[in-house]
Amino acid sequence: MINYQNTLKWWQTIKISWVKHTAYRLNFFLQIIGPALVFFFVKYNLWTSIFNQSNETIIQGYNLKQMITYHAWAFIISLIAQGHGSWNLSEDIRMGRISSYLIYPFNFWEFHTASFLSFQSIQLIIAGFTLFLFSFLNIIAPFTTQLLLTGVLFTLYVSFFWYLTQFFTGLLAFWLEETWILRVMLQIIAVFLSGAIIPLELYPEWLVDILNFTPFPYLSYYPIQIMMGREVSLINGIGIIGFWIVFLIFVNRLIWKRGLKLYTAAGM
Amino acid sequence: MEQAHVINVNQLCKKFVSYKKEPGVLGSVKSFFVRNAIEKKAVDNFQMTVKKGEIIGLLGPNGAGKTTLMKMFTGIVVPTSGELTILGHNPWERDKGFRKKIALVMGQKSQLWWDIPAMDSFTLLQRYYEIPDDRFKERIDHMSEILEVKDLLHIHVRKLSLGERMKLELMASLLHDPEVIFLDEPTIGLDLIAQENIRNFIKEYHRKTKCTIIITSHYMADVQALCDRLVLIMGGTKGFDGPIYEFEKVLGNEKTLSFSFSSEQDPSASIWESYDPEWDEKFRSVELRVPEEELRELSSQIIKNLDVIDFATEKLPIERVMKTLMEKPELLQTGQHD
Repeated sequence: MINYQNTLKWWQTIKISWVKHTAYRLNFFLQIIGPALVFFFVKYNLWTSIFNQSNETIIQGYNLKQMITYHAWAFIISLIAQGHGSWNLSEDIRMGRISSYLIYPFNFWEFHTASFLSFQSIQLIIAGFTLFLFSFLNIIAPFTTQLLLTGVLFTLYVSFFWYLTQFFTGLLAFWLEETWILRVMLQIIAVFLSGAIIPLELYPEWLVDILNFTPFPYLSYYPIQIMMGREVSLINGIGIIGFWIVFLIFVNRLIWKRGLKLYTAAGM
Repeated sequence: MEQAHVINVNQLCKKFVSYKKEPGVLGSVKSFFVRNAIEKKAVDNFQMTVKKGEIIGLLGPNGAGKTTLMKMFTGIVVPTSGELTILGHNPWERDKGFRKKIALVMGQKSQLWWDIPAMDSFTLLQRYYEIPDDRFKERIDHMSEILEVKDLLHIHVRKLSLGERMKLELMASLLHDPEVIFLDEPTIGLDLIAQENIRNFIKEYHRKTKCTIIITSHYMADVQALCDRLVLIMGGTKGFDGPIYEFEKVLGNEKTLSFSFSSEQDPSASIWESYDPEWDEKFRSVELRVPEEELRELSSQIIKNLDVIDFATEKLPIERVMKTLMEKPELLQTGQHD
């Protein structure tokens, strides 16, 4: 009975978040899809001219077609893995809005996690649509359903890690006045180290060896490799991201508790 | 044996520690290593008890500790020391059982979600508070009828006026039938009509449900209309606790009378002498402080002998008391009640 009530709470929050996320449809598009799409076409043009339109050139195992496919997947994967920003979270803290959540019999993290799940369901639809478009325009090389399914599941798994990172930086608002700089920095580092800009094969080998122990390659490079049917160690990715997920849950719980003590509901 | 109290506050203290930070990046870096702590007592040794069904007005100037007190009552802020129980719970433990029994309305802060219609927020709250469907529907119908907001339920909250929004905020906080309701300046920023609507609604709601209400407001009209009992907090400590009519007399049982005349008066006439007169520039109107027992005789004498065109006694004596106390808090030491 208690479980049933709780499920209802989550479900209703997800539904409401759906409405909220789509409330500013244009804004949503401009903020999230727009820049990413522009970025993709910049890369498209860049690589096309690097390969000098010749299909025979091969750079670190990628011919032009494969390189474009790589970036098309990078774009789709970033929609799912790193789409969610948790901007609201630190705003809620800074503006003293978490007072409301402290009073409702539904917890702050539950609210935000439900909101994240809701956001992901929208992102999946957008990603699906984009994939359809890319396939239709022949930008992306053919793939199998099984690869797609494995890749999407792995990306969702990684997205949960990314959500926890966002939650973490958001919680720092208890101590910092502005957290967006930190988040932008993290975002930029992640973009570089995840292989979203250039495939990791183009990086020095020793760096890649180190990176494999960090969560970054799993945000972009790994899922792309899965989708492209190349051989990667799934177990490795699941293990390392799993470690980070557990670690972040632990850290987030700790700083939530400490932060809450500090919290004075500024301007309430 | 005394009846169990809904709220029990004993020797409650809240200290805030803040750190002095110099402006700029350098200041931030510096404050990371050397921090100058500033301790501020927001609430100091505060006590009070509240019986079931009371409506209490919590008064005090800005920064006196009202909001801190409300935050401690609702479990948002943890007390530094002292005892605080509400309905037998320690608020700061914030167990879900406690959270289901209380409500907080903040006039300065919207609890409804901005980007969705109020009704969506309500259904969300229905789930959070586990309100059965029929009960929920009944309450929505009932309250939206009284508050006249039936047509507003499906409009995005951000498109509503402050007055309309406040009504919906009130509704949202009452859906789960809370036993104790905390209203933090529920009428702030509202026009006179809207203030009165909110006031009447609260009054009527209290009459029907006999819930316990703690309300803070800077509008004495709210307090006068709603509260039987006042608690004054100044500088973190309790300055007064008692019925409204006693508060009016905290500074003595004098009444303020004001007269306007059609011609200039002589301010040095002996009739004014003992009543602390305050004249306007043209000596055509005056305010007097008159002991209750002399009120009748003096006013009839003035009306009979002088060309009075208007006279009035003050409408909200507590407003004057409040104003005087805020200007001269030291007056409380002599006129303190328990």
